[in-house]
Amino acid sequence: MNVRRWSALTKRELLKIVRNPAAIATGLLLPVLYLLLFGQGFNFTSFLNSPYLTPVQRTQLLHQYLLGAPDYFSYFAAGMVGFVGVTATLFVGANVIFDKLFGTLKRTAASPATAADIFGARLVAGSIQPVGLAFLVLGLAILLGDVGLAGLHVTAAVTVVGAGEIVAAILLLSLMFASLFLALGFTIEQPQTYFALVNAINLPVLLTSAALYPWGAMPAWLQGIASYNPITLAVEVLRIDLFGGNFYPYAAWVYLLGLIGWALAMFAVATLLTQRALAPKN
Amino acid sequence: MPDAIIAEGLSKTFNGSVKAVDGVSFSVKEGEVYGFLGPNGAGKTTTLSMLTAVLGPTTGRATVDGLDVSHNVHALKQRIGLVFQESTADPDLTGRENLDLAAALFGVPLRDTPKRVDELLNRLALADSADRLVKTFSGGMRRRLELAVGMIHSPRVLFLDEPTLGLDPQGRAGFWKIVSDLRKETGMTVFLTTHYLDEADGVCDRIAIIDHGKIVASGTPSELKDRLGGDIVTVRPLGDAAALGPALQALPGVTSVTAQDGTFRVKCPSGDTLIPKVVGAATGLGIGLAGVSLRRPSLDEVFLEFTGREFREDEGPTATDRAVFLSRVQDSRRGRR
Ligand SMILES: Nc1ncnc2c1ncn2[C@@H]1O[C@H](COP(=O)(O)OP(=O)(O)OP(=O)(O)O)[C@@H](O)[C@H]1O
Ligand SMILES: [Mg+2]
Repeated sequence: MNVRRWSALTKRELLKIVRNPAAIATGLLLPVLYLLLFGQGFNFTSFLNSPYLTPVQRTQLLHQYLLGAPDYFSYFAAGMVGFVGVTATLFVGANVIFDKLFGTLKRTAASPATAADIFGARLVAGSIQPVGLAFLVLGLAILLGDVGLAGLHVTAAVTVVGAGEIVAAILLLSLMFASLFLALGFTIEQPQTYFALVNAINLPVLLTSAALYPWGAMPAWLQGIASYNPITLAVEVLRIDLFGGNFYPYAAWVYLLGLIGWALAMFAVATLLTQRALAPKN
Repeated sequence: MPDAIIAEGLSKTFNGSVKAVDGVSFSVKEGEVYGFLGPNGAGKTTTLSMLTAVLGPTTGRATVDGLDVSHNVHALKQRIGLVFQESTADPDLTGRENLDLAAALFGVPLRDTPKRVDELLNRLALADSADRLVKTFSGGMRRRLELAVGMIHSPRVLFLDEPTLGLDPQGRAGFWKIVSDLRKETGMTVFLTTHYLDEADGVCDRIAIIDHGKIVASGTPSELKDRLGGDIVTVRPLGDAAALGPALQALPGVTSVTAQDGTFRVKCPSGDTLIPKVVGAATGLGIGLAGVSLRRPSLDEVFLEFTGREFREDEGPTATDRAVFLSRVQDSRRGRR
């Protein structure tokens, strides 16, 4: 990897992001809609305010179903903050396909830039901005509580280490999904195919994670699948740091290790596919 | 000094069946402008792609500036400049940003970059629009920017794939003027493809005519024209002058004389030296002349002679069609933003 080439290509990606704020907005659309509509309509823990429950029973139910989160909205909003790591990396792969259609990729591929320069620049530019966006969504979720809507309530004392863990979790999840979407972008030619595939990946990954479901309400088989889901791993780091880790079997760093594994595996596959896609065709 | 480009039996087969290029061999001397002329789908872009390591050859070998195109891919990319048939500049960046990026990619030293970029912008008459986004550029500006990008690192060999596609006649003339000026200054070798015959005629030192993946003829433009039997001198005598026919036939170098409606069509290898002799012969016989004109065979006729037809239209969408289509798509996207 050549630093000058790599940084020039990264600068280009960042310029394109800045000049196309609409692309970023599409990454925010899904999580924000979930917060503003789904989370407001589905905040079922309001049932727990029922006068037939004692405070002890109420706390027990919260612990059993939401692993220590104060209410469903808070629990689920942490999930949406993690989900940004997926939705905000979508466009990095789409950009590769548009660059193919517009010939820009051809130009770069014909230059002395290596696959590592080309892939690396997009990976870095593509996984930095989800971190910023995730904090935007986190801020929004907290703010909603202050304007009379259901909002996210942070109930643990967030330490510097905790904040670092949150950043790391989102960054790793973004790296993993940016790698995945880049690999798709480099191997697929048609935008339609790409978006169809992305939809076929996005929703199943979200729905097999613990981002939306109360943990205690999930059947054991789904819990089993969800425990390995990268979104779950990232979201659990967030929940541990925002609501406390008493009800989780492992410390946050264990989940981070799992995310590192996912990110490395996806990175390896993606670099391989990209290298093949950019080599002279035979 | 070795030749700048050497191709030996270069072939490319797509999907195991489509023979796009079929055993092409040629060499280009250093500093030469060499043109590949052929109809849509002839295999021009495919040949150029193999020479620039964009595509790997199916069989055969080629060297460019002494580097094997199959084995020295990285070094090769560093030394050559490439202008594609379609637009490749980033529409979301300005002209200058595109050039800065190219300078970084091709390893132009950081210190020299601003000077080099300014020089090219001025050279290609893009200085005034340098800081506008490329999506606002006209077709001609885009083509000139492509040339600037291809020239950014002062390549030893410049490859141009139908670089003037879609330009108006002035735009084309201006473009070629810049290319030949740059070539004179730098001594670089230029390999170009085109299907504008007049363009190949005016710009190239040597030409190869390619059809169905094979070179069917090659040589300097005038050699190729000579092979058609040379120039045609038309002689119009004043009044009846039947005696002129045999006299013209007897002139040195004349290959045939045909009379029609009182005028004579004289075929010969070089018409300009024949004209004084024609005038001399007529004067000797006391025959007055209403006019003498010289017509050289154009490359259009050369093309027809060697391929047996005009540019064909019997193929599916060709690379040219795709490029034109893409530029329309790009324009419409540009309009929507
Ligand atoms: N990637 C590919 N897969 C299959 N066939 C291809 C591919 N690229 C080119 N061809 C075919 O190879 C032949 C030569 O194409 P090429 O693009 O080299 O022609 P060209 O001379 O550059 O034409 P044009 O003047 O339209 O640019 C055509 O029949 C084309 O359809
Ligand atoms: Mg072509």
